[in-house]
Amino acid sequence: MNRARRRQILLGAIPFLTLGTIWQMNAVYGWLAPIHIPPPMAVWGAIFTLQDSCAGLVDALQQSPGCLFTSHILSSLGRVGLSLVVGLPLGVAFGVLAGMHRRLANALEPVGVFANAISGIAWVPLAIVWFGVGWLTTLFILLNTVFWLVFFNTLLGVRGVPRVYENGVRTLGGKRREVITQVYIPGALPSIVTGIRMSMGFGWRALIAAEMIGGDRGLGFMLFVSAQEYKTEEVFLGVLVIAVIWMLTDRACLVPLERWTIERWGLVWRPT
Amino acid sequence: MKPKLVVRDLTHHYPDEYTGEDVHALERLSLDVDEGELAAVVGPSGCGKTTLLNILAGLLPYRQGVVQVDGVAVKGPGPDRGVVFQEHAILPWRTVARNIGHGLEIQGVPRQERERKVGEFIELVGLTGFEDRYPHELSGGMKQRVALGRTLCANPVIMLMDEPFAAVDAQTRITLQEELNRIAIATRKTILFVTHNVDEAAFLGDRCFIFTRRPGTLKATAAITIPRERRIWKDLVSDPAFTRPRDEILELVRAEVRVGDD
Amino acid sequence: MATTSLSVARPGIVLSARARRFWRQGGIELALVTLVLLAAWATISVTIPRPDRYLPSPLSVVLSSGDLLWKGILPNYVGQTLWRLVLGSLIGLALGIPFGILVGLNRHVSETFYPVLNFFQSISGIALLPILMIWWGTTEKTVFGVIVYTCFFPIAFTVLTGVRSTPLIYMNALRTLGASRLRIVRDVLVPGAMPSIATGARLSIGYAWRAAIAGEMLAGRRGLGWMIFSAQQVDQTAQVILGMVLIGFLWILLDRYVLRPIESDTIQRWGLVQR
Repeated sequence: MNRARRRQILLGAIPFLTLGTIWQMNAVYGWLAPIHIPPPMAVWGAIFTLQDSCAGLVDALQQSPGCLFTSHILSSLGRVGLSLVVGLPLGVAFGVLAGMHRRLANALEPVGVFANAISGIAWVPLAIVWFGVGWLTTLFILLNTVFWLVFFNTLLGVRGVPRVYENGVRTLGGKRREVITQVYIPGALPSIVTGIRMSMGFGWRALIAAEMIGGDRGLGFMLFVSAQEYKTEEVFLGVLVIAVIWMLTDRACLVPLERWTIERWGLVWRPT
Repeated sequence: MKPKLVVRDLTHHYPDEYTGEDVHALERLSLDVDEGELAAVVGPSGCGKTTLLNILAGLLPYRQGVVQVDGVAVKGPGPDRGVVFQEHAILPWRTVARNIGHGLEIQGVPRQERERKVGEFIELVGLTGFEDRYPHELSGGMKQRVALGRTLCANPVIMLMDEPFAAVDAQTRITLQEELNRIAIATRKTILFVTHNVDEAAFLGDRCFIFTRRPGTLKATAAITIPRERRIWKDLVSDPAFTRPRDEILELVRAEVRVGDD
Repeated sequence: MATTSLSVARPGIVLSARARRFWRQGGIELALVTLVLLAAWATISVTIPRPDRYLPSPLSVVLSSGDLLWKGILPNYVGQTLWRLVLGSLIGLALGIPFGILVGLNRHVSETFYPVLNFFQSISGIALLPILMIWWGTTEKTVFGVIVYTCFFPIAFTVLTGVRSTPLIYMNALRTLGASRLRIVRDVLVPGAMPSIATGARLSIGYAWRAAIAGEMLAGRRGLGWMIFSAQQVDQTAQVILGMVLIGFLWILLDRYVLRPIESDTIQRWGLVQR
């Protein structure tokens, strides 16, 4: 690790250490009531309170009621995963088709723009009407976000692939299938990955909101319930977990993936 | 001997996107290319050379005239007519080796044989040692070698080249021309080479087809009789067997350009 | 698919230039899709059981809007939501932009704050809402707090990166002209940050819009968000749909006709420094 990187890490840690220290001092000196700012140990302890009757790993994976902490996390992550598994292929498929056929793009784009303008959370009441409170609602909200963002970015990516690549492959004997799989999808991959990253960002937020309002499980739901019971330490815990999960997903997975794709394609990666 | 490529009375026009008027790209164009011949097509800008090439490649549909390769009418793109484009059409996300082997991959050639053939063509186009590089790591001239290798490796019946050396610097261009000559000798492919550079056309062509300005049709044909093996730039610059036909072609093309200026 | 030109306009029909542009920019498809969707909506609405609950017809949505407009409720709600958005965003921007510039000036300072800004950006305003509700209950302060928070971090972050990515060459050029540090800030860094400020502001206001709606829903303050939330709870689905359509249109209007033009103009005018 070179000097610049080391310095960055050290400097970057300062605000966190400062905040952490102030936090702990608050617990010791009691400047603000624990109901407003719970002591760090209480937040840590909340994990065990929530997991108290958890029998072990198997129990946790089965999301039994004794393992609240892990089961909320698993619920949220599971929904995100499911939305990716369904929304990603659909979004890419439609995006590629729309990118190749202008008419389809012209027809779908306004629908997507409008669906997105009604931001994820505004869909929740209608989703509750249709699907009731529960996982289907939250999944619907997530899918709505993921699909359109992946669709738009794929469309953009496909449009940006120079026509001459398609021509080249067609003169080698490639038919429609080869053109899609060997030209447009690889060509649009940098944009697709950006789309995945954006949809994860917005989708994660929409999920938490949807779980708060219309969910029965998950991190958002946990935040909401704990807030109602004024258990601030649980709320803090939930918020921290949300932040950590997102930072891990984005910085540790998505950004490197984006950078790898873009650099491998010979483009220049611009950090956002 | 039956010609490999036959074009008879090819006429093509299309409506301009913005003005709506008809653009007459080609007007009753007729020409033949024999097997193993390298035919150069040269003419002023806008004379329809690229339109002709796109029609031959099957990328542009035509309605009037006859266009046949080996007696079969041209209907759409296909591996029998390989194309080397002006802009690099090699895929930036594939290595040199995978780009060159792409045609064989599409044709379903099994991996081992494919790799063997790719190896041969990498050597032929002079890219040994660069098999695993990506296009963005290569210079312009090297990218065009990859394009050349890709088209050749797919073993087309005829090769169509659309000003492939226009985007490289002058020195690389001369080198690539001599390389192409060498490859033409080695493979004896039938090649149609489109260019607006008269020197290039005269250097490469067995025959040169000189086009009129738009609407494009065949103005004249010039034959360069110097045998391929003797075509080296430093020898030809002072050889009248080269300079004389080259100067004639130049005059013919210039006349077309001048008429356009009036 | 052919590469070069294909005839677009049918022969024999002469279209005016505007009509041709409409055709080419997909106006026909837009009209068609809108009609098809409306027709499908109306059809589904009449065929399902209990349409009032599940999918009220477009007509009933329009009618309910008339009712609300007449009573003055709708404009009130829209006004409330917009007011919160505007005020909250202004505060957030007013705090975030100077912060971003100041922090961005010095390399070490920016490296210090970069991770923590990133961290708080990961905690969306909505996730913060429960904490604020414990602190301040279901008051206006809560909703404003969420909006300001949501607005602050994206803009601070964007401005920070914008200032940091000012090409060194511009600053060096001014130094060779004998410019003082303050002058460099004034003449290079602030103008150079304008495109980032414009783009960051647009992003932040987008986030703030969502936060405002969410805040209203959860903290129970009157507004568009509250309207669709409470309407769902009393099975007034027509109002829910009405609210959603309004939210969609309002955002499209705000984004396309206010925010994006300002962003483009700013970038055009100040885009001397490329990101």
